Amino acid sequence: MIWEIIGDILRIAVLAGLGAAGILTILIWKKNLATRITYTRLVIQAVAFAAIFYVFTYSIPLLYVLIVLFTMTIVLGRLYCGWLCPFGLLMDLVIPLRKAFSIGYRNVPEKLNKSLHQSRYVILLFFLFLPILLWRIQPPPNFNFAVVMAQLLAGPFRIYSVLLDPMIPLVVPWKGPLVVNQINLSYPYVQDIINYAGKNISEIIAIAFVGLTLVGSFYIRRVWCRFCPTGASLAVVNRFNGFKWAPLLHIEKDEEKCTKCGVCKRVCQSQVPDVYEQKGGKITTSMCTLCLRCAEMCPYADALKVKLGNKTVFKSRNWLEPSTSE
Amino acid sequence: MKSEKIEKKYTPEIPTKEIEELRNSIKTASQKIMAENIERMKKTDPNRPEAMKYFDEIANLFGKRPAEILAEKEKGKKVIGYMCLFAPTELILAADAIPVRVNSGWYDASKVGDRVVPVEVCPVIRSTIGAEMIGLSPFLELSDALISVLTCDGMTKLSEILSDYKTIWGMNIPRVKDSAHSLRFWNDEIKLMKAQIEEFTGNKITRKSLKEAIEQTQKATKAFRRLQDLRKGPPVIMGRDAMLVNQAYLWDDKVRWTEKTEALCDELEKRVQRKDWVCSPETPRVLITGTPMFWPDNWKVPTLVEEANPKGIIVADELCSGERILNDPVGVDEWTMDDMLNAIGERYLMSSTCPCFTSSDGNEDRINWLINKVKEWNVQGVIYFVVRGCMLYGMEYNRIKKALDKINIPAYYLDTEYTREDVGQMKTRVEAFLEMLTARTEI
Amino acid sequence: MITVGMDLGTQRVKAVVLKDDAVISRGQAFSGFDPAKAAEEAVKEALKDADLKISDVVYFVATGSAMDMAPYSNGTVSTMGADAKAGIYLFPKARTIIDVGAEEARAVKCDEKAVMVDFIVNERCAAGAGTFIEAMARALEVKLEEMGPLSLKAEHASSINASCVIFGESDVVSLIHRQESKPEIARAVFDAMADRISSMVNRLGINPDVVLIGGVAKDVGFVASLKRKLGVDVLIPDFPDYAGALGAALTAATRAKEGKK
Repeated sequence: MIWEIIGDILRIAVLAGLGAAGILTILIWKKNLATRITYTRLVIQAVAFAAIFYVFTYSIPLLYVLIVLFTMTIVLGRLYCGWLCPFGLLMDLVIPLRKAFSIGYRNVPEKLNKSLHQSRYVILLFFLFLPILLWRIQPPPNFNFAVVMAQLLAGPFRIYSVLLDPMIPLVVPWKGPLVVNQINLSYPYVQDIINYAGKNISEIIAIAFVGLTLVGSFYIRRVWCRFCPTGASLAVVNRFNGFKWAPLLHIEKDEEKCTKCGVCKRVCQSQVPDVYEQKGGKITTSMCTLCLRCAEMCPYADALKVKLGNKTVFKSRNWLEPSTSE
Repeated sequence: MKSEKIEKKYTPEIPTKEIEELRNSIKTASQKIMAENIERMKKTDPNRPEAMKYFDEIANLFGKRPAEILAEKEKGKKVIGYMCLFAPTELILAADAIPVRVNSGWYDASKVGDRVVPVEVCPVIRSTIGAEMIGLSPFLELSDALISVLTCDGMTKLSEILSDYKTIWGMNIPRVKDSAHSLRFWNDEIKLMKAQIEEFTGNKITRKSLKEAIEQTQKATKAFRRLQDLRKGPPVIMGRDAMLVNQAYLWDDKVRWTEKTEALCDELEKRVQRKDWVCSPETPRVLITGTPMFWPDNWKVPTLVEEANPKGIIVADELCSGERILNDPVGVDEWTMDDMLNAIGERYLMSSTCPCFTSSDGNEDRINWLINKVKEWNVQGVIYFVVRGCMLYGMEYNRIKKALDKINIPAYYLDTEYTREDVGQMKTRVEAFLEMLTARTEI
Repeated sequence: MITVGMDLGTQRVKAVVLKDDAVISRGQAFSGFDPAKAAEEAVKEALKDADLKISDVVYFVATGSAMDMAPYSNGTVSTMGADAKAGIYLFPKARTIIDVGAEEARAVKCDEKAVMVDFIVNERCAAGAGTFIEAMARALEVKLEEMGPLSLKAEHASSINASCVIFGESDVVSLIHRQESKPEIARAVFDAMADRISSMVNRLGINPDVVLIGGVAKDVGFVASLKRKLGVDVLIPDFPDYAGALGAALTAATRAKEGKK
């Protein structure tokens, strides 16, 4: 038992150490101010990937992961999306591949982007109600869509499902029922579904999903993030007056220093127009994944600030030192 | 290039002898004025930085720099002149051509321009027409082609008139900049201009050459910003000196200008350490905004401000012949040709504070910029400089004045012409304004 | 303490002698081609009237368009600044001071301590200044000092172009041909000037009380038209043409006191 714990501590220590080393290297090696944050973020994303993979090898009730994630989004904004999400890492890794072929990125037309953004509620609701729906349907012994979907999200491929990471927390299968006040909160039927489904089909679909998203993100940066339901909790909560402080970690704009040069809108990986369009103050949008490209590339000192509560964590500065590499 | 005689659409035929007489007389007068301006700048600051000697030399519009450009031309390089800050100089540099701004700052040339257009037209336009008619401007003469941007009425018609003499390409700029289709339109104009320049110079603009051109301009912006930042504190450099350095970029060799400006900033930093101020830190700090002021004759107002009694010091300006030249860098996301061109298009269109734009909430970019400048550079008064005939700057005055009234900064509408005769009247106005500022600070 | 203020205007030089905050004498001379000499004459005349010598004067300040040419001068002050000082001295509640001279009209806004808040000067055209009246008097073949009383006899007014003296003069000629009466035309001249000046003052913004100074303030016709156009009452001191010099003398007194400290 004790060896297990020591093993765990060692694994965490190694991960943390590698992460710190990576960040230090970036800070020393990369002098170009306009991309430093992005490289640092890449390192942290890699460390997070390893950590999350490791977490999912345990049978931690995913409901708890879900709760942590959704609560974190309310306080820290979509920091998870920009800095910790392994799927995000995969989409970001496609970018240097694309640059190597000198292919430019494409932008989704603004109106379409907005409606994709709204569609995440549909996706969220779909996953929340899917189990209830299936509860009423006798899972048939043959291949059917619902079975396949459930198989996709849970079951024996959980470890590989870290690739589909954002979706996992949305369906909550685990061993053993969760009964609170005589209400059964678990979805044990999924285990049954798993028993019925064929291995090959679900594997093909899993690969197809990941493949499609990666191909999409070849041309459109962070394509999945635009409809990922992870940000939905923040959006929902923000509508209520008591939660105007949410999130604590946010971007703030100083209207007087802004020259409306538009760089923030152009470099944004999720095509968020709010930083450009809002007239100063706290940027309230749940589309922003806090990748901080805007603050990094803003050429006017102090125009964009990243704040945790009232404390400024990072601010835009005069990055005029041209790149020596890339 | 056109080799047959172009039938002139606008300009009259002038006998060669008359052209030569006019050119020689204005040139001689201008050389005297340039020398005089520099002498006065030297007198006002006895500890003038050594690095300014280079800029004094480059300031001679008939001297070293035109000779250099001529030498480059003989080696085969093309020279492309431009008349408005929207012209994408990075594209010109990437095609291995020499960009040079050719707006005229000669008062006397505007009288020649009166033969072609009414007197009510903006004097900068009339002067540029006049300069072309008598071949006064070395840079205009050396230009193989011109880029004009159709911003104000004057500029729009100027490109037609100058086509009597030179190949001129007009860039169509949308008047509402804060919209997606305006940006798309302008980006298309940039792409067309790229093709135009490539064809004209015979050089292809490659990813590498454009990257280098953008990086070179970013270096220049860095030096430029460093200089302006040094003017934030107590005065280490006369406003006129800084304005000359800023404006010299328009015709100087960009790489060399960057080096020399960095050297100047090094010297100025040493001055800051020694607390060697150019004048008392209590001198009223003035910001000039409005119609561009081109060297040499337009040094009239800055000279008055800095030699008045009581004197003032110009610590900042919002002029497209001054701090607007290099204020904004091109922010490239990924160094692909598409992204670089988009970044260039955006930089030129979006960050401009020119009053030729309008938007539903008014030209607030200019106001934000001015207010930020006033606060960070500790400006005490704003001189709103307008030449008679400039509709756009003149019409924006009320808006700017109200915004400045809100932050309790006095502004004065100073309107003048391309003439030396009103120096006396300008002096009384400027002195009254500076007196007002001095009295306010004494309270 | 004796101080002297000199106002080197385009037509005449005025001098005022101030003793311990009270005006004790005045002097003037025509500027002509040599404003410096005229200033000397004006100062000497004023001092003679007060039985004083040049050496009795502690401080000289000059103002006006030719202020840099003033003799004896210890310093200068802008016309706007001098106007503000004079305005407050003469009428402590003054906040807007209009100064109409021979060649130029200006308006100054100030606070209760005579510190300038804003000012405006008319465009470089004499149609809003004294020479306009002279030119129109010529066209009407009337003596300059008769213009005012003549205009007060008018029952209504015609209108003339006030954007340029040249146009104004030809307008007057056409009115004469239409056989409008001289009082009507004279009134039209003053109305045009007042129109010009009041729109200038309105651009500045009016803060009561409004004071009118300068040589033209002596003209009853102009004052009547201005009051009508501005719609507010206008305070006029005695000797309005010496107000500039008075302001300069007051400035001299302030500076002398500061110097002594």
